[in-house]
Amino acid sequence: MEQEAPVGVKAGGDSGSTFVSRFVPAVVPLLLLACLAALPLMGPGPNIIRLLFVTLTWVTASVGWNLIGGFAGQISFGFAVFYGLGAYTTALSLNSGIPPVMAFSFGAAVAAVASLLIGLPTFRLKGPYFAIATIGVSEAVRVVMMNVPFTGGASGYRIIEKTRFVQSQHYNTALILAALAVGISILVRRSKLGLALVAIREDQDAASDLGVNPFIAKLVVHALAAALAGAAGGVYARYSLFIDPDGVFAFRNGIAILLMPIIGGVGTIWGPVIGAFVYGLIHEEVVANFPQAHLLIFGSLLILIILFEPGGLVGLFRKFMRSLRARSSVGSHS
Amino acid sequence: MSAADFLNLFIAAVLLAGVYAAMSVGMTIIYGVMKIVNLAHAGFLMLGAYFVFEAYDRFKIDPLLGVLLAFPVFFLIGMGVHWLLVRRIATSDQPTLTSLLLLFGVWLVLQNLGYLIWGNSDRAILTPRTLSSFELGPISFPTVRLTVFVVAVASLVGLEFVLHKTWFGRSVRALMQNKEAGQIVGVNVQRTAQIAFGVGIAFAGAAGGLLAMLYSFNPDFGASFQLRAFVIIVLGGLESFGGVAIGSLILALAETFVILILPASYQPAIAFSLLVVALIVLPEGIAGLWNKRRRWA
Amino acid sequence: MAPILKLKSLTRYFAGLAAVKDVSFEIEPGGLVGLIGPNGAGKTTLLSLVAGSLKPTSGKIEFEGRNLAGAKSFQAVRAGVARTHQIPKPFKTMTVHENVEVGLRFGRQGGAASPAKKAEEFLEMVGITHLALRPALLLSVGDLKRLELARALAARPTLLLCDEICSGLTETESALILRLLCDIRRAGTTILYVEHNLRAIMSICDPVIVMNYGQKLAEGPPGTVQNDPSVIEAYIGKKAKL
Repeated sequence: MEQEAPVGVKAGGDSGSTFVSRFVPAVVPLLLLACLAALPLMGPGPNIIRLLFVTLTWVTASVGWNLIGGFAGQISFGFAVFYGLGAYTTALSLNSGIPPVMAFSFGAAVAAVASLLIGLPTFRLKGPYFAIATIGVSEAVRVVMMNVPFTGGASGYRIIEKTRFVQSQHYNTALILAALAVGISILVRRSKLGLALVAIREDQDAASDLGVNPFIAKLVVHALAAALAGAAGGVYARYSLFIDPDGVFAFRNGIAILLMPIIGGVGTIWGPVIGAFVYGLIHEEVVANFPQAHLLIFGSLLILIILFEPGGLVGLFRKFMRSLRARSSVGSHS
Repeated sequence: MSAADFLNLFIAAVLLAGVYAAMSVGMTIIYGVMKIVNLAHAGFLMLGAYFVFEAYDRFKIDPLLGVLLAFPVFFLIGMGVHWLLVRRIATSDQPTLTSLLLLFGVWLVLQNLGYLIWGNSDRAILTPRTLSSFELGPISFPTVRLTVFVVAVASLVGLEFVLHKTWFGRSVRALMQNKEAGQIVGVNVQRTAQIAFGVGIAFAGAAGGLLAMLYSFNPDFGASFQLRAFVIIVLGGLESFGGVAIGSLILALAETFVILILPASYQPAIAFSLLVVALIVLPEGIAGLWNKRRRWA
Repeated sequence: MAPILKLKSLTRYFAGLAAVKDVSFEIEPGGLVGLIGPNGAGKTTLLSLVAGSLKPTSGKIEFEGRNLAGAKSFQAVRAGVARTHQIPKPFKTMTVHENVEVGLRFGRQGGAASPAKKAEEFLEMVGITHLALRPALLLSVGDLKRLELARALAARPTLLLCDEICSGLTETESALILRLLCDIRRAGTTILYVEHNLRAIMSICDPVIVMNYGQKLAEGPPGTVQNDPSVIEAYIGKKAKL
């Protein structure tokens, strides 16, 4: 019985790709995008739009995290710091009269710069030390922001929005950003950088022995990931008009950003997207009906995924497809 | 500042260091034997605190006795968690992502259980001991800190004894140094790992009880101490017990004396900043520097 | 002609123990130099030092006139040095083909015209074309060794460092690899070859360097070296009949 290939690897045993298997992965996401774009016009309630809006910001952050955590295998527990920095930078920019798109870009840029400052010392660390360091940095920034009077400290910071609130505008921004994030993710994965990242993830020393510069590769992708998380934070900030350190810099956010790709399938393109949607939905349902059991559910979900299907939902799907294919080729030898 | 004040602060730091060491040693054992970073450590600290609290609150059991009881109880819990969850994932000579995430999930679950059972509010353990203090010439310190320190140090001494004089202890040390060689020599890796995990959790639970005697707590309790444990282990090296002692002392001194300079609300940031600085300057902890001179790299 | 590799008093300590001590030798361009010695002699450490995977404690490494000591391994690759690993280090979730692509795209003069096509050439050279689409984690040790070689070759080195590339291979497979090494050498690549299979080394290498306890014991043509009394003594109990 042939051993299963792990997530991220195309099983080599197929009888060649069919039209369907190449057509579907390209068309389905585009259809989905079209549906999501058309949604506000079909008049669902503002609650649904809000839920999708938040989910789409999560998609961006989740896809971003996956670049460094999934492709490159550097597990950061502290991505809340980029989300928060993006939120605060955007908020400060908006209040200074800077137009929204530029404000989001500033948020992304500040997050990217921060990622370099954080990455330079921490990427030399091995395994668990790196994860621990990211927690430390994230929490340190949160505590500092709680105490800095300029941005309101613990009482938070308010954005003074001069234009009228149009929900669909926020929704469209989040959608465009999420689509952009996925696009970047696909481009990176298919590029030379993507190959380097997977090599680094599998065996950094061997990668270096073949000419890959792991330091530059990690710093570059970390900056991209941070920029996306920062942009997500910025988009969220503009929507909610009020941010505070215990909200945006919360360790809980860092956990969420990490959890989503894992639920969906860490290291894949669509895993983080699926995971974000699953998380968004569960989060909404759970917070509505069982507000007290929210960590319990996510913790148990994480445990179950780790024990039984580390490849997440995408992994499950691939196993399912493989068993279908195996069944349909009865009699033929793999 | 007078000499007496300085001495008071210094002694306070040392007493704190003892508890910190007891709090961190559990992670060291688990990491050393299984190369697993126990992110659920915080959860067990919290459970230990509530265990001792409930023992005192409901059954009027003296907290110190409660802490001693915590050892066997949490040892069994630890072995149970290992049997149920941890043994099902592959471990290797390098710390794995799966183990990190698995224990993280356990932490989330424990935290929520804490909220569900005990709610949000702060608790504290108040005994006559809490308010009295011990005088020795110009130095005075709270009795409870002294007793907690004594118990902490006693348990660490006990651990040293176990590690050096018992079969289990030797197995643990063998596996910590070289897993394969240990296996060849006949160490039962699975059994030792399970017991080691149990011991690690036992220390977490008991230390949680000790900390509960000093501070008020709620279900979030473990988190800040977990981070301190990280700092200590990073300073001391994830695999060295002597390192844990040194790391505890450094952190305790830093936290105690920094109050003289910075406002109290910045205090949590001390641990974090020390952590980040330590990681930058000493990627393998202080013990790493020492080991580079002694061991085959 | 100037030597392509010059080692001067190369030394590496691991906490008080000298894995490589005061080793000096030169390799001429186009040479196929063998490096032998009992287990623990420091051969792999020496390769790691030249490849940049390890930093020397002291001593000089001159490659094509440039000082390589202290360079990181990816810098050494850019300069033209590539290595295989004694214990294979494949990129497990990638296919064999993708593994070779890494060497191809990041090696010296990286970014060949059509990378995919050229990767196949290297697979064919070592004889694992049939495994191209298989995930590396499913390969046998022998095949992994051949993948190591294909990957290193894909980085187009001018100096190839081979670490026990034949262990785990059958007689036929070994013969193929040895012939391949000779072909590569003839095409201009210099090779430093560490091997336990003495017959293989003696049959294709000249000169042969012998190490023991981190130090160079002997150096010379295979015939001379194999009759050197200190070499024989180092291999006590083993008389290599060639």
